[in-house]
Amino acid sequence: MKDEKFNNLQMIALTIMRVVIGWHFLYEGIAKLMKPNWSAAGFLLQAKGIFAGIFKWMAGTPDVLAVVNQMNIWGLIAVGLGLMLGCFTRLSSLAGILLILLYYVCNPLFVGYYYSIPMEGNYMIVNKNLVELTALFVIMVTNSGKYAGFDLFIHKLLKK
Amino acid sequence: MSEEKKKSKETAGKKTGKKLDRRDFLQGLATVPALGVFGYALKKDMDFKKNQKQAKLGKPAPASKLSELNVALLGVGAQGEVLLNAMLKIPNLRFRAVCDIWTEYNQKKTVRMLKKYKYDVNGYEDYREMLDKEKDLDAVIIATPDFWHSQHAVDCMKAGINVYSEKEMSNTLEGAKKMVETARETGKLLQIGHQRRSHPRYIHCYEHLLQEAKMLGRIVTVNGQWNRAAAPDLGFPKRYAMPADRLKKYGFKSMEQFRNWRWYKGLGGGPIVDLGSHQIDIYNWYLNARPKSVMASGGTDYYSKSTHEWYDTVLAIYEYETEEGVARAYYKTQTTNSSQGYFENFMGDQGTLVLSESEAGNSGSVYRETSAPPWDEWVRKGYVTAPKVIMPGSEPNVVLDVRETISPDEHKVPVQLLDPYHKPHLENFFNTIRGTEKLNCPAEIGYETAVTVLKVNEAIEARRTLDFDPDEFEV
Repeated sequence: MKDEKFNNLQMIALTIMRVVIGWHFLYEGIAKLMKPNWSAAGFLLQAKGIFAGIFKWMAGTPDVLAVVNQMNIWGLIAVGLGLMLGCFTRLSSLAGILLILLYYVCNPLFVGYYYSIPMEGNYMIVNKNLVELTALFVIMVTNSGKYAGFDLFIHKLLKK
Repeated sequence: MSEEKKKSKETAGKKTGKKLDRRDFLQGLATVPALGVFGYALKKDMDFKKNQKQAKLGKPAPASKLSELNVALLGVGAQGEVLLNAMLKIPNLRFRAVCDIWTEYNQKKTVRMLKKYKYDVNGYEDYREMLDKEKDLDAVIIATPDFWHSQHAVDCMKAGINVYSEKEMSNTLEGAKKMVETARETGKLLQIGHQRRSHPRYIHCYEHLLQEAKMLGRIVTVNGQWNRAAAPDLGFPKRYAMPADRLKKYGFKSMEQFRNWRWYKGLGGGPIVDLGSHQIDIYNWYLNARPKSVMASGGTDYYSKSTHEWYDTVLAIYEYETEEGVARAYYKTQTTNSSQGYFENFMGDQGTLVLSESEAGNSGSVYRETSAPPWDEWVRKGYVTAPKVIMPGSEPNVVLDVRETISPDEHKVPVQLLDPYHKPHLENFFNTIRGTEKLNCPAEIGYETAVTVLKVNEAIEARRTLDFDPDEFEV
């Protein structure tokens, strides 16, 4: 990757985007953590599309569901902290992309599926999940954590 | 420019292998303050949610040890059963006696049930016998037909017992007046069963939304209704019919009349009294006023006049003189269609409050007029929920006229009552006996409401507007 291509302003913009997305992940995780009986079951049960069967199996199998719930909560929090602090930025971005991908395929907005038309806005194939996923892809490949974040330390100490 | 660019290139990429300097250190921690902001926002967010939750659950019950009270039930028909079911959820009550003239059915059923709950209860047909024999009663719960309330309550208070009497306090003002006077003379407690007066949601709306926040601004109009589905007359199992002489002794012409006493003149007051009285009581309470006049239209339009002497359909309009000015209030009750149920609706120049006793429908909404001062403080304090903004465009084919006012945002009243509706009011009564609370609906308030409501039937008969004399409300 050629970091030289970016000037300060561009790096600041990428950093802001990283922090904002991290904020979103972190709060999604904490909000679920705070709700006494939060479970992914509701979301999984309304899964549609080609992977619906798998998601419904997850919701219907208590042991699997318990693991999914914990992984979802702590995954969101870890990704959120990683992105906000710029710590293991690339790994965090990749994990974030995978999480969002799961949410997306659980309720894909393929043309012709009109069940999940959201209350606000108008979507066709692309929804907010996909926009966030794409933004994370940009963060992953530009690695702004090395510019402003803990990765700067990690990178330097490892290289020494 | 070129200088800066060079620098930026350095900082952006060419750090590898260099020593960590102060600049690197600051840059590495650059986003940490964002986490601080996040923490601050999270704290605010949690406080808000805590307030909302607290408002929903209401005040926690005091943990003090309650003394046990001896309770008798006088009248255990449909309403008596509702009250009993609520009381069975209240700790430290000891049921001692059940009195009901329908010994074959009501009385037998209730005694049997209370014995199952391990209460040692005696059954009585005549309340005088009960008062003679049961000597250590603390409270009696009266749920007899309206025309008996006055005599029952007066005799119980004279026997030294505190009384909870179902509304309507009495079917006549003379009867109601005697109850107020006896309560004063004997010093016994008399709670009238307008149970909304103890409902946490109604208290919350009155104290916080109206008195403290004045969220509605000046209330100008009020409306309320109770729509009830058409229903056949109440029947009875023939083998449990009471003998004619007993019916006559207690003022009934027949079993049919005994079962459907609410529809008969001289016994009950009809739906405007049975249903309307609960809600018109709230008009007086929330407006802090007594009405100046009432006009009304009503009649037995649907049922047979021979068995339904009181009006099955009533529309009434009150005029109030409140501290802020005139307010007009209308009320409708009909017994032929249940659509849209029951509620009270208060409309001021800054907001609207719709509420009812039910958790199923109209469980409390407040609408803010767009010109009203912001309500953020009341949302933060948990008095109302954050607004549900009605998004334009959710109805894609509706074209809004620009001159139309935008419909106001809807806030919910977060207070719920997950207990039986009558439980808080009964608890208030028992705790007042124990000296830890004050009655929420003492005889004087019950009297005020009786004066307000009984006048509707008079106005229908007179076919004109009737004025209230301010002295009328006093005993």
